[in-house]
Amino acid sequence: MSALQTETGPQPVAAPRPIAVEMTGVEKYYGKFKALSGIDLTVRKGEKIVICGPSGSGKSTLIRTINRLEPHDGGTIVVNGITLDGSPTSVQDVRLECGMVFQQFNLFPHLTILENCMLAPRLTRKLSKTQAEALALKYLERVHIGAQTHKYPSQLSGGQQQRVAIARALCMEPPIMLFDEPTSALDPEMIKEVLQVMEDLAEDGMTMICVTHEMGFARRVANRCVFMDQGEIVEEARAEEFFEAPKSDRLKAFLAQILH
Amino acid sequence: MSALPIDFALAWDSLPQMAEGLVTTLLITVLVLVLGLPLSVLVTLARMSRSRILSWPAAAFVVFFRGAPLLILLYLVYYGFGQIEALRDGPLWVIFGSAFACAVIGLTLNHVAYMVEVVRGSLNAVPAGLVEASAALGLTPRETFTYIRLPLAMRYGLAAYQNEVVMFTKGTAVVSVITVIDLTAVANELFEETYDPFTPMLTAAAFYWCLVNAIRLGFGALENHLNRHQRREQAVKPTTPAGAAAAAAEPPAGAPVAPLRRMIGSDRRPVPVKAAAPALSTATPKEHAL
Repeated sequence: MSALQTETGPQPVAAPRPIAVEMTGVEKYYGKFKALSGIDLTVRKGEKIVICGPSGSGKSTLIRTINRLEPHDGGTIVVNGITLDGSPTSVQDVRLECGMVFQQFNLFPHLTILENCMLAPRLTRKLSKTQAEALALKYLERVHIGAQTHKYPSQLSGGQQQRVAIARALCMEPPIMLFDEPTSALDPEMIKEVLQVMEDLAEDGMTMICVTHEMGFARRVANRCVFMDQGEIVEEARAEEFFEAPKSDRLKAFLAQILH
Repeated sequence: MSALPIDFALAWDSLPQMAEGLVTTLLITVLVLVLGLPLSVLVTLARMSRSRILSWPAAAFVVFFRGAPLLILLYLVYYGFGQIEALRDGPLWVIFGSAFACAVIGLTLNHVAYMVEVVRGSLNAVPAGLVEASAALGLTPRETFTYIRLPLAMRYGLAAYQNEVVMFTKGTAVVSVITVIDLTAVANELFEETYDPFTPMLTAAAFYWCLVNAIRLGFGALENHLNRHQRREQAVKPTTPAGAAAAAAEPPAGAPVAPLRRMIGSDRRPVPVKAAAPALSTATPKEHAL
């Protein structure tokens, strides 16, 4: 802790907080295609990072390497002090540190909302049924799904399903949350309810890494925004600078495309 | 004789014998299915394994027993193994000396070889995203298999499995060639005793028909039970314009959640007043222009 505080981070967060995720020179190949090249990214505890970029730029791949849904081929990734070296224990440990929310919700269709949230705490955290149920209800309440816990995922709207997915991840009480385009599969009128839940989470101090196209959300919530193109981090800046004074031409072009 | 080829008196008298045959048929069917299900899951896992030591023998097993003609397989198991003297004198003769056990073995080998493809297809049909979600929650691959992949694969594979069970049940008739007295064998015996070609066969056919339909009903009930998450969905979802009003009784999908934003957030993201209007977002600027 004290050693970390002597470091001077580039970002103007009051005092540099402990590092949550550190990626150094991360590379990833799909066959011969280089999906990630030389990714350096440091996320400190409590930071909210938004990653954006054109499709195919490697945003999703990047976020998926953090909990090793995609193994990386080069460089190092350290999550809360755990180095991802591919050993099953490190993978398991890192996955307990990171909650993940997917574009397609990925709720388990054969389980009720409550069971979706109880499964992992019961198996992985070895909670009793009553403990897990109390925990699940607490987080479902928090995402405003408390009244529909005995329904099945297919009986909820997209926005509701995504909020359940957030609650399901929160039930593992992870210190870091990863969001992989959480609103991209939603109808426009449902995006807001999901973003509200995410903003609420952000205000509670959760460390968040979000891949999203919601630029309004990025402006309001993100400490830093990261722009990716062709597998590289092209620009990384505080939210205001990122939108008001983009430096690189690629980011300028991208912002011109999406901010209409 | 009447115009009908069926001698009802004979059919009636043959019922007890037929019932005995049916019991044998049932016994074989149930035994093979009970043995076959776990075996086929195991062989499938071996078949899908990354380790070649496991996957190659499993693949060879499937290729061989799916290709092997069932009738000849039964002959080989029953008559072929009987030629091996060491086996005849050994402790396993209890099994290989019995026509019934040989029938069960031969049918199981055949059934498992077919089922491997059914199970494999069903497991592969489970969306990768669900497996990922489970892994991301920290479940081990084994837990993911037990709680996510297998239960879902069961649902996806049920129809194919039902087909296999029905085909197989009727297929058990071949065991009569190795002296097992099943339903078909009983009918055959009666035919030879009475020289009535129709009555015993049609009676047996009626028994098979009932059996197959009992299976169908059983599967129907099982499917209903397993797919309860979808059935209720259908009760809720197919809402036409009129249904939209009904849906409003449910917590409406698009309704904003209770405001949880703090006051400081009030100047953020000025939401168009008519955000939920049916028009696309591109329509909003026009409204403003007007």
